[in-house]
Amino acid sequence: MAKRFTALLCTCLLASGLVQAEHQVDDDGFTQPLQHLQFNPRLDQREFERSTLGALNVYDPLESWNRRVYHFNYRFDQWVFLPLVDGYRYVTPTLVQHGVSNFFSNLGDVPSLLNSLLQFKGKRSLQTSARLLFNTTLGVAGLWDPASRMGLPKQKEDFGQTLGVYGVPAGPYLMLPLLGPANLRDTGGLVVDFGVESQVNLLNVAEASGNHPEITALKMVDQRAITDFRYGQLNSPFEYEKLRYAYSEARKLQIAE
Amino acid sequence: MPLLHRLAAAFGGLVLCVPLWAADIDARSYGYPLSNPFEATIATTPPNLRPALPADADIEQADYQIKLRPEREFEVPENFWPVTKLRYRLAQQKGQAPLIFIIPGTGGHYANSTSEYLKKLFYGAGYHVVQLSSPSSYDFMTAASRFATPGFTSDDADDLYRVMHAVRAQHPKLAISAFHLTGYSLGALQAAFVSHLDETRRGFNFKRVLLLNPPVNLYTSISNLDRLVQTRVEGIDDTTTFYELMLGKLTRYFQRKGHIDLNDAMLYDFQQSKEQLSDEQMAMLIGAVFRFAAADIAFTSDLINRRGLITPVGIPIGEGTSLTPFFKRALQCDFDCYITEQLIPMWRARYNGGSLNQLINQVSLYALEDYLRNSSKVAVMHNADDVILGRGDLGFLRRTLGERLTVYPHGGHLGNLNYRVNSDAMLEFFRG
Repeated sequence: MAKRFTALLCTCLLASGLVQAEHQVDDDGFTQPLQHLQFNPRLDQREFERSTLGALNVYDPLESWNRRVYHFNYRFDQWVFLPLVDGYRYVTPTLVQHGVSNFFSNLGDVPSLLNSLLQFKGKRSLQTSARLLFNTTLGVAGLWDPASRMGLPKQKEDFGQTLGVYGVPAGPYLMLPLLGPANLRDTGGLVVDFGVESQVNLLNVAEASGNHPEITALKMVDQRAITDFRYGQLNSPFEYEKLRYAYSEARKLQIAE
Repeated sequence: MPLLHRLAAAFGGLVLCVPLWAADIDARSYGYPLSNPFEATIATTPPNLRPALPADADIEQADYQIKLRPEREFEVPENFWPVTKLRYRLAQQKGQAPLIFIIPGTGGHYANSTSEYLKKLFYGAGYHVVQLSSPSSYDFMTAASRFATPGFTSDDADDLYRVMHAVRAQHPKLAISAFHLTGYSLGALQAAFVSHLDETRRGFNFKRVLLLNPPVNLYTSISNLDRLVQTRVEGIDDTTTFYELMLGKLTRYFQRKGHIDLNDAMLYDFQQSKEQLSDEQMAMLIGAVFRFAAADIAFTSDLINRRGLITPVGIPIGEGTSLTPFFKRALQCDFDCYITEQLIPMWRARYNGGSLNQLINQVSLYALEDYLRNSSKVAVMHNADDVILGRGDLGFLRRTLGERLTVYPHGGHLGNLNYRVNSDAMLEFFRG
């Protein structure tokens, strides 16, 4: 009897809360979430297999080399990069870390602006120009990011994206030493963006980096510190494949948008 | 004295029904905003309803590694080098404090998002926290599992227990006032078995054990999960696969929005937009995630035990070798296939096992019915709309745990774990 009462109580309570689900609620309060789903009647659909096998078709002729670089990066990360990042985080106050990130991010807005212009994205070009202007002046050489607070979010555009917008195919997938996943098109883009940054030489940083390799080192450590990805975090023997697919699709998304 | 009789009867009734009085939270006072179990499972709680957590910079934590199975280094191919030692994460308080072990769900890494969330929650409340990988995960199977065939829960618990001891031994100076244990999803089932094991081995004397959304009948749970990829999804045709459909939606959503912005709040906004996913699509998405976990388990278990079902025995595999052909094979294997092809044969060979029903009874919470009924330190939190449950499972929990069971009306699978009401209840349980 008590059980029935509990069930009744549950039913009442649940009925009051559940509007959309016309599920039959069991005696013990279970609402059977799978009940209303439309299933393939013979349960022999192979859509997961079909989708996933399709997703494994990424043009990767250099796979063997790429996999070795993947393992090299993994080791380098564990033995050099991440200990450096940890040390950097330990000795640097959080405020300074943000300042460093903002500073390099502000420099990165220069190629972003150029690429927005090349893609004839008017609004984005204006926003990025405004960002550069505000952050370099009000934000004290970019150490602070007042533009984001004013509603001008960072919108990264690189030359790989620009090439993609004009229909240049991705080319073979490449795992770059230290830099991680890329493809031929984006590697070219990376070189161009680097060239732009050093030609524009905003705040004289690019030139100073020539004489002071520690600036480049700081930039790399900062980059690693703000990149959340850790090798092994997918915890799968097939991390290489998953990373490759995620990278390819993320780039397609960035180009389409 | 009819009145007295009636009172006595009512009182007697109350006493009798005490074990049945699980704490049922009613939907209105609970206030969890997502009544759709699939949405809750995928998006979890909206950011403004989550508890306040300490920032990463304020947590004194590090990853450590232990070598538990030195022979594995020589048994597995060289591209398994990252997982020949078991890694885990320890967050320590300054002085003496109680310690909580966290066991994640199927295939879960020690640093996955749910485990990280629980760590922050408990660390903020003053506990040392140890995050372990799930015994069904690639790294644990390789580095710590004796038979590398997860699913036989008492073996998994035994492996976990050894790991916990090794962790304890690696930090002799850590001042610990008491040991607690928690796990979610599959990890909750394993936590129950670990706690049971601890009653005889007495290594930790766990003070409190909290099971978050455990499967009750393991086979029901895996059948449900296997079935999720069988939903009929609109929009899939000869030229569009499921992933293309999802990515197309995402692309259109961002194009309309004007910029890419991936964050926690995005998922709610997405479900409010024109691109909103149907229940079938969300079910397929959840099912796909679990199929990937199943593929990893099937591949790793087969490889380590040299069963030759997926990877031919003796085939040379180096760091440059493509694993894609094996991945393609492993993908075809869902949980049911893994159990039939690998777990049951292992169980029969090693434990003289019998039928599937016997296996289910041995590896599910049923095996611990008496223990759960009498052990006051174990509590369960579950949801009435959890997709891993089947009919009668909540009834079993109600009968067995009584008031130590809390049933929330919404939340799907683990979706309400980071809801403030739940986090308060969890902390309250360990405090109490």
